[in-house]
Amino acid sequence: MSYALGYIGRVTLNSLYASTSVCVLMVDTINWIFIHPFRGKGLRIKSTVEHFVEFGVRSVPIVAMICFLVGVIIAMQSAYTLAKFGASILIADLVSISALRELAPLMTAIIITGRNGSAITAEIGSMKVAEELDALKVMGLNTTKYLVVPKFLAMLLALPCVTLIAMLVMIFGGFLVGVFSLNITPEAYFEETAQALVNKDLISGLVKSFFFALVICWVGVYRGFQVTGGAEGVGKETTASVVTSIKLIIVVDLIWTFLFFKAAS
Amino acid sequence: MNTPPDNIIQVKDLIVKYGNHTVLNGINIDVKRGEILVILGGSGSGKSTLLRNMAGLMRPHAGHVIIDQQNFTAMSHFDRIEVRKTMGMCFQSSALFNSMTIGDNVAMPLREHTKLEESTIQIMTRIKLEQVGLGGCENHMPDELSGGMKKRAGLARAMAMDPKIIFYDEPSAGLDPIVAAEIDTLILDMQHAFGVSSIVVTHEMESVKLIADRVCMLHKGKVIALGTLDEVQETDHPFVQQFFARKPNPIDHNKENVLESLTNPE
Ligand SMILES: Nc1ncnc2c1ncn2[C@@H]1O[C@H](COP(=O)(O)OP(=O)(O)O)[C@@H](O)[C@H]1O
Ligand SMILES: [Mg+2]
Repeated sequence: MSYALGYIGRVTLNSLYASTSVCVLMVDTINWIFIHPFRGKGLRIKSTVEHFVEFGVRSVPIVAMICFLVGVIIAMQSAYTLAKFGASILIADLVSISALRELAPLMTAIIITGRNGSAITAEIGSMKVAEELDALKVMGLNTTKYLVVPKFLAMLLALPCVTLIAMLVMIFGGFLVGVFSLNITPEAYFEETAQALVNKDLISGLVKSFFFALVICWVGVYRGFQVTGGAEGVGKETTASVVTSIKLIIVVDLIWTFLFFKAAS
Repeated sequence: MNTPPDNIIQVKDLIVKYGNHTVLNGINIDVKRGEILVILGGSGSGKSTLLRNMAGLMRPHAGHVIIDQQNFTAMSHFDRIEVRKTMGMCFQSSALFNSMTIGDNVAMPLREHTKLEESTIQIMTRIKLEQVGLGGCENHMPDELSGGMKKRAGLARAMAMDPKIIFYDEPSAGLDPIVAAEIDTLILDMQHAFGVSSIVVTHEMESVKLIADRVCMLHKGKVIALGTLDEVQETDHPFVQQFFARKPNPIDHNKENVLESLTNPE
């Protein structure tokens, strides 16, 4: 009994500690984005662009491939049910709405967590292990400004862009199935898609991906700074970073879906 | 040399803890301007911790570090950056930025803290690298260099801003005797040519004899001896005698004593 209580207490204290450290990190990041640059302390544009290329441009092939296939798969899976009702044309609605509202943002966020969230943790963690973070500090350079802000800005820009591509590709996957396997004419498929979608679907998907970007970046960075010990510590925190990030992404998704669609209707 | 005889660093009643483990327990040290102070002590006696506190990489539990008459421990973030521009540090693991070339590593403090032209920065970088015998290595990546070359590149980076103080954490650990001697020569050159004050953590008695103006011995969180090498060797503290005589501790075969010493390091 007392063991269980002790455990609960410890978990609570640990998560409180983690949340305060994350808050400190957030405030610091926001400071370095919105306040210090106007006092002549500068932003690191070059590094931000490099990270944007890494997070955004280089993620496009894998995200596009996976999302295209997912589009094809949902279309084929639901064709079976819809055909029974003679409503194959509704494939267009189903694929496009689920792509925009849910699947494209979620798949993209999960792929980018695995690709880049882990890399963020590993990079900062190995710098910590190799005393490079201390070297930055001794030079009078701020680790938030140098390491966190560029990644943060790049991720915030890159994830919605990649998500947008993922949406289009997923709809295209469904389109191919509809046209070639279900014999729907391309014009009919387009028309159906266009009248199924409302702006709200697109906006909700993109705003959601913005929140996912916050999660991926902050979890990645926070875990990186948490690394202790040697190479083994880097590996442990990298794994933890991906797991935490995916968990939080699902939670954020749930909350967002509830607020945007349930509470708003 | 014509240096004012004041203290460049004063460490006052410094107490540092990791969790409940007190690593430094009331340290008082003055470092004179232009001298080379060597810190000695057993492994785990807190030498790196002391160095990190002097360089402001950690906040002490209590006590102050005063750099050049300014209270380094109590100052604001941006004031501290100004003070840091006057110090450099050579790390145990060199700590070069692995994603940048050697030249960019050395140029980094100049690019960030000065408004010099890029061409001037290139020239200064080359001069710094030549001073440590790495002329022509600007475009190599840190991975391509040997351990000794990395240490020297780290020193070039530490010197980039012409600091008044350089901290060295085990600069010659893991290097062959020739390279270690080269590093000692560089440390002495810094002192003679630029009047740099150096604080060096090392285990190599040969290099202590060569470079140390004064020696400070740490043991169990306290300074147990401070003075010239001869003075320190005269001290009759048992640990000092044991250290210089290289006498091993008797290995404790009693399991409980070992456990006791692990859980309660005092
Ligand atoms: N980050 C840390 N967390 C907890 N304990 C630490 C940490 N760094 C060092 N220590 C402990 O502090 C003591 C002194 O370490 P250190 O200053 O690295 O010693 P030295 O450089 O003299 O070998 C050691 O007992 C070490 O275990
Ligand atoms: Mg050490």
